[in-house]
Amino acid sequence: MKKFSQLAIPYIIWAALMLILPMALIAIYSITEPGNSIISFSVTLEHYAKFFTDPDFLLILWRSLLIAVKTTVICLLIGYPVAYFIARSSERAQNILVMCITIPMWINMLVRTYAWIGLLSEGGPIQQLLSLIGLGDVELLYTEGAVLLGMVYNFLPFMILQINTALCKMDHHLLEAAADLGAHPVQTFWKVTFPLSLPGVINGITLVFLPAVSSFFIPKLLGGGQYFLIGNMIENQFITVGEWNFGSAVSMIMAVIMMLLMMLVRKVEKRNSGGKEE
Amino acid sequence: MKKGNRSFGKILMALMIVFFYLPILYMVIFSFNEGKSLTSFTGFSLRWYKHMLESQDMMEALYTTFGIALLATFVSTIVGTISAIGLSKSKKIIRNLMEQVNNLPMMNPEIVTAIGFMLLFITFKVEKGYVTMLLAHIAFCIPYVMLSVMPKIRSLDPNLADAAMDLGATPWQALTKVIVPEITPGIVSGALIAFTMSVDDFIISYFVTGSGVKNLSIMVYTMSKRVNPSINAISTLVVVIITVALVIINVAPMILAKREKKTEMAKRKIFVPALAAVCIIALVIGIFNIGGKGSSLPYEGQTLYVYNWGEYTGENLIAMFEEQTGATVVMENFDSNEQMYIKVANGEAYDILVPSDYMIQRLMQEDLLQPLDHSRLDCMDNLVEAVVGLPYDTDNSYSIPYFWGTVGIVYDKTKVDVEDLEKEGFNIFLDEKYKGDIYLYDSERDSFMMALKALGYSMNTEDQDEINEAYDWLVQCVETMEPEIVTDEIIDNMAQGRKALGLIYSGDATYVMSENEDMGFYLPEDGTNQWSDAMVIPKNAKNPELAHEFINFVTSYEGAYDNSSYVGYTSANQEVMDELSGEGGDYEGIDAYIPRTDNEKDEVFVYNENTRKIISNLWSKVKIAASNAR
Repeated sequence: MKKFSQLAIPYIIWAALMLILPMALIAIYSITEPGNSIISFSVTLEHYAKFFTDPDFLLILWRSLLIAVKTTVICLLIGYPVAYFIARSSERAQNILVMCITIPMWINMLVRTYAWIGLLSEGGPIQQLLSLIGLGDVELLYTEGAVLLGMVYNFLPFMILQINTALCKMDHHLLEAAADLGAHPVQTFWKVTFPLSLPGVINGITLVFLPAVSSFFIPKLLGGGQYFLIGNMIENQFITVGEWNFGSAVSMIMAVIMMLLMMLVRKVEKRNSGGKEE
Repeated sequence: MKKGNRSFGKILMALMIVFFYLPILYMVIFSFNEGKSLTSFTGFSLRWYKHMLESQDMMEALYTTFGIALLATFVSTIVGTISAIGLSKSKKIIRNLMEQVNNLPMMNPEIVTAIGFMLLFITFKVEKGYVTMLLAHIAFCIPYVMLSVMPKIRSLDPNLADAAMDLGATPWQALTKVIVPEITPGIVSGALIAFTMSVDDFIISYFVTGSGVKNLSIMVYTMSKRVNPSINAISTLVVVIITVALVIINVAPMILAKREKKTEMAKRKIFVPALAAVCIIALVIGIFNIGGKGSSLPYEGQTLYVYNWGEYTGENLIAMFEEQTGATVVMENFDSNEQMYIKVANGEAYDILVPSDYMIQRLMQEDLLQPLDHSRLDCMDNLVEAVVGLPYDTDNSYSIPYFWGTVGIVYDKTKVDVEDLEKEGFNIFLDEKYKGDIYLYDSERDSFMMALKALGYSMNTEDQDEINEAYDWLVQCVETMEPEIVTDEIIDNMAQGRKALGLIYSGDATYVMSENEDMGFYLPEDGTNQWSDAMVIPKNAKNPELAHEFINFVTSYEGAYDNSSYVGYTSANQEVMDELSGEGGDYEGIDAYIPRTDNEKDEVFVYNENTRKIISNLWSKVKIAASNAR
């Protein structure tokens, strides 16, 4: 039996090389000066100071978090009812609907985002539709709204699928029991269904928030070159400016913020599901 | 009440499906559009499919995407499953630790993971390309497989394997005959997640790729600046492939169910259709991947890696060169000199680069180029005198000109008063009359050139105060004028007359003017950037011999004509330049095609490490200011 545990050894080595080492490298880069070799380097916190003392950088960070929060909230508000409806339909319908939501994910994310450019551009179908109700002059492409739409479009399936999984796992006898005990359907939803679906909601939030906060091609494609989020800033540092040390510092800051947020979310989840099994 | 709920749900679902599929449908429809427009359908045609099938780049991207996805899924499923089984029997402390480690790629923003991989490969000098992309994909797929296999293992009876071995099974048998069949559903869903993640990935692939290896995402990202309906065509092809695979997965079990007994089916339910799907995909890829057949050309089987600007090569140039030499050309594109420099300085190997003047100077200074072997070159007599022997390389020992031109203002004659241009020069970009109606170009050097010239300074100034003044000028522009900052997007947008004004390279202006008669090109009297881009061979080039051949071909009449007539930039070949601008030529009467050479205030960029750094940082701050101003 013990023999099987040895099966994990290659992976532990692999993970150290491919998962831990890269993070360590980012950390090292973020506290060193350019041009230093790995063997001899002097530690500096200058790159972090540069980020935190510049109001423009902080504003970018704030705006990136804000748009990610907006995306997550919209996904949750749309995603929950959809997932709920899917979970309540027949098994056959469920399979088909889940499939319908999964398929777009297999068609490349860039391709799906690119498709919106035509739909939103000047003289495109959406603008023509809007002009019917007298809103023809509204600019759609290269606005914050377009970026938000692109994010919701790309990440909504994650939310729906996660909540749906949680709802499907739920024991339906619980609902009957609640009804038998005289609970109103609305009461049942808030006291039974929602708390039980919470793990799915949390997973969904994670899966939407994380990519939304760091995405750089959605802002670039739908927001235009003047729309800059923290992801674009990191890309820019590495691809064109060439200040990898500063770019690494920004990456570290983002990684830490995300980790803290995720820990917070997990804590909320634990408190809410406290006392229950699993 | 209940009924109301139902129909509400149905409407909601219908809306959802429309939301998810509308863009995809739109894309499919416009892939059959005859015209180039993404908004008006002018007629049915298959030209974009033809274009796609002829484009080696696109087919290769498709092949890379599915190739990597299948390989990464295969490897990560096996490794993930075995490791998960191993870990489940390991000590708790190791198990918990590994769970945390596995969380790294899942709980980190993807861009952070991507940068981690990039730094890893660069630090250990692993050449970036197909292998690095595959390794990265495997690395981020395994945790998902393990995440999906682990719960199944946990729900297994821990004594199962022991029981099997007590009954005489070898550990291997216990593993394959007892444990694996029990956890198959977990393995299959893990494999599906891995496949989805890999096919869909952009960010990680983008940072770890090299040597011209592109997947679909990277291709779309680099191509999306120009209107290019073949992207729609290739996307439609992907939709078809996925649909066929899905139909097989879903229909095959039903057919099998009719034929076979239920117990048999349970086993095959997953394997057969999955296998069939894999085969179909492999087949489809195989069909497209059958390349040309061999003959006896001088460079048969050799590969030339070219790193050039986007939208900077003629339609047939590469194909013609390949036909003539038998070599394969792998082309990668960049958006700015700086982007190119970072890759080259980090040791990525290319055979040909096409940087601009000041960047060539920098590459020479840093000893990244190799001298050209002039005995192999037969092009010197063809070249336009104005671009031979420029100050940064007086005897052309490192560089051979490719295109040349100036930077000016493209404007819509129906919207812009020429008098404003003549009066204000580049300061027209601060004229609130045109607020919200301008394009800036996302180039640090040329944006600062514009600002410095507008202020009456030299664009090569090293004076910190002057640079700061230029920075303020640019910030004022982005904060008050609501510009759009673009790169090649400007070409199609100005050709369609979307905005009144834009900072533009003369060659792009030539194209815009040849497409739209209302457009004009203006060069401010205060002077501008007189640039030239040239071909150079980096020191670490793997095939300098073939690179010389390429330089000869590009500067020959045949190559230069295709290049210049397709792209619109001014040819460095005298004959071609004269012909295209002369009577009956493509660019007859378009002043942007012949660069200005008689203004004393025009300058050529000089490289200065210190100023470059300052300007680079300031430009990214200008962009941030632009974003924050909205």
